[in-house]
Amino acid sequence: MSEAMAHKRPALLNTFIYDFIVLWVILAAVPFLWTVWGSFKVEADFFSRESWWNAIFGTATMRETGAAFTGDGYYGAWITRDFWKAAFNTIIVTICVTTISLTLGTLGGYALARSGKNYAFWILIAALVFRAMPHITLVSGYLLPFFQLNIWGVLPTSIIVLVAINQPFTLWMLHSFFLSIPKDLDESAMVDGCTRFQAFRLVIMPVMWPGVVTTGLFSFLLGYNDFAVTAMLLSAENQTMVPKISSFLGSIQETGNVMFAVAAVVSATVPLFILVLFFQRQIVSGLTAGAVKG
Amino acid sequence: MAQIRLKNVSKRWNKFVGVDNFNLDIADQEFLVLLGPSGCGKTTTMRMIAGLEEITEGEIWIGERMVNKLEPKDRDISMVFQSYGLYPNMTVYENIRFPLKVRRIPQDQHHERVMKAAAMVELEPFLERRPAALSGGQRQRVALARAIVREPNAFLMDEPLSNLDAKLRVSTRAQIKNLHHALKTTTIYVTHDQIEAMTLADRVVVMNKGLVQQVGTPMEIYDRPANTFVASFIGSPAMNLVSGSIENGVFTSDGIRIEGLPHRASGAVTLGFRAEDANLAEANGQIEAPIYTVELLGEATMLSMRVAGELVSIKVGKDYRAEIGDLARIAIPASACHIFDQSTGARIEA
Repeated sequence: MSEAMAHKRPALLNTFIYDFIVLWVILAAVPFLWTVWGSFKVEADFFSRESWWNAIFGTATMRETGAAFTGDGYYGAWITRDFWKAAFNTIIVTICVTTISLTLGTLGGYALARSGKNYAFWILIAALVFRAMPHITLVSGYLLPFFQLNIWGVLPTSIIVLVAINQPFTLWMLHSFFLSIPKDLDESAMVDGCTRFQAFRLVIMPVMWPGVVTTGLFSFLLGYNDFAVTAMLLSAENQTMVPKISSFLGSIQETGNVMFAVAAVVSATVPLFILVLFFQRQIVSGLTAGAVKG
Repeated sequence: MAQIRLKNVSKRWNKFVGVDNFNLDIADQEFLVLLGPSGCGKTTTMRMIAGLEEITEGEIWIGERMVNKLEPKDRDISMVFQSYGLYPNMTVYENIRFPLKVRRIPQDQHHERVMKAAAMVELEPFLERRPAALSGGQRQRVALARAIVREPNAFLMDEPLSNLDAKLRVSTRAQIKNLHHALKTTTIYVTHDQIEAMTLADRVVVMNKGLVQQVGTPMEIYDRPANTFVASFIGSPAMNLVSGSIENGVFTSDGIRIEGLPHRASGAVTLGFRAEDANLAEANGQIEAPIYTVELLGEATMLSMRVAGELVSIKVGKDYRAEIGDLARIAIPASACHIFDQSTGARIEA
């Protein structure tokens, strides 16, 4: 169908359309590709004041290391400055946030979707209000109690706060997925011999996978990309990747190493690409099946 | 196998009355049809029996147990839903097997029982397919097989044929009747289609606005409707209802006069008669009116004419031909007339 339509369009419009797409892809991809390329250079090249061609040819990199590419940035970030530890912390945080959010979200979303009560609606509205608040408003309120309870700076505290921030969204999204599954399915299962929970586990959840994968991905991204919560609530040795990258950039007190940050950024982005590519089918079917879109 | 008893069962949502004081004894092995227009409370009644809807008032007994507080799974009934309710992630075989699996029936019986149920509804060629790859009729048969595989106390069927096309509806209807004959399981069947009710039921319960209007065999309901609602709901076309007055056994109204009716009734009444009970009159008819339309049905011809402000239908022979506007004389035997109170709509017995 699309081919037939393409033939009918005037050639000029076609050229324009394809040019636009190519331009758009370049605009979207070049900054990232540029960073990946640059992460294998030294700072004098990547941030060269003489000419940006230096970043392409690696003039200073050749001079300093003897080769056009260098892994110094990666070595410095991962080994010298313990970026592996931050990566490990990120894994813990994201896995915990995703698992807890999905467990509470599927149970709660299912209950709210199947409840005929009025208060189910108000719970969802309340959830929406909390979702709309900027994260930082919550975090600043948490700081003092967390200091006093002596739970500041550790991973579990951040995980709980991230779950709290993420939960309303998870609830909404899964709620609308559950609404799209006909009630007859649960009722069939219950008449066939299931308890309410068995109906949920054996009949509804197997149908829900696209929704769970999509919501899970968004939860994962929230935990993975969060800066506000992890930067404020984690001590320096417990930092996750994103605040760690920010600390590589340095502050007023200490000088950073920009190339460590660049290498760390690339390291942090690659897993996301792999993840999205791996789950793209479920995500697309999830996005089109549910009413709520991320 | 069990009898089902409903005692003073009511369902209310705040002030809205879904089912009002429903009383019924359903015999073991009976095929009972709940019939009524949408919103009459028939599905609610069935869902209360299944345990999918809470009972506001009254008691429901299945066999020797009061089931008010029992979960659906503990009531030992199976249900066929209008939208089939098949599990989309399982094959037909797994769908049918599911009730056996969750009820922990010994594994070694599963295959035999699934195959037997599948054979009864002729599903053997499709066992490895998923519901998405089946037609509507096949899906409905999977739902039936899943209901019979467990050999429950009772079957509940909620408008199982209404999503099928007309032709398939007739054959599936026959299949359901045959299944009931073979299995002899108490069956409660909800429908708004009076033909399904007439063909399938041992007894029919006609409901309207949450209230039971009449309980009886299909013939009783057809021949002796308890009120004007039942009269106008059962039969195709519906019973003709004409309002007028009756005095000394003579009913008169604009364009109609019938003598020889029972003397018990007097004053303003509604007179009912069925299209097929009326005939062309040789000389003096009970109705003399111009023809409004002539419809050829093939096996008969349907005349309609305006009597006392209402259009009435008369079924005449298939060879009858007349033009719109011609005067027709119609004979209505007094014995075929039904008389209803005009204010309450209730039947006045002869």
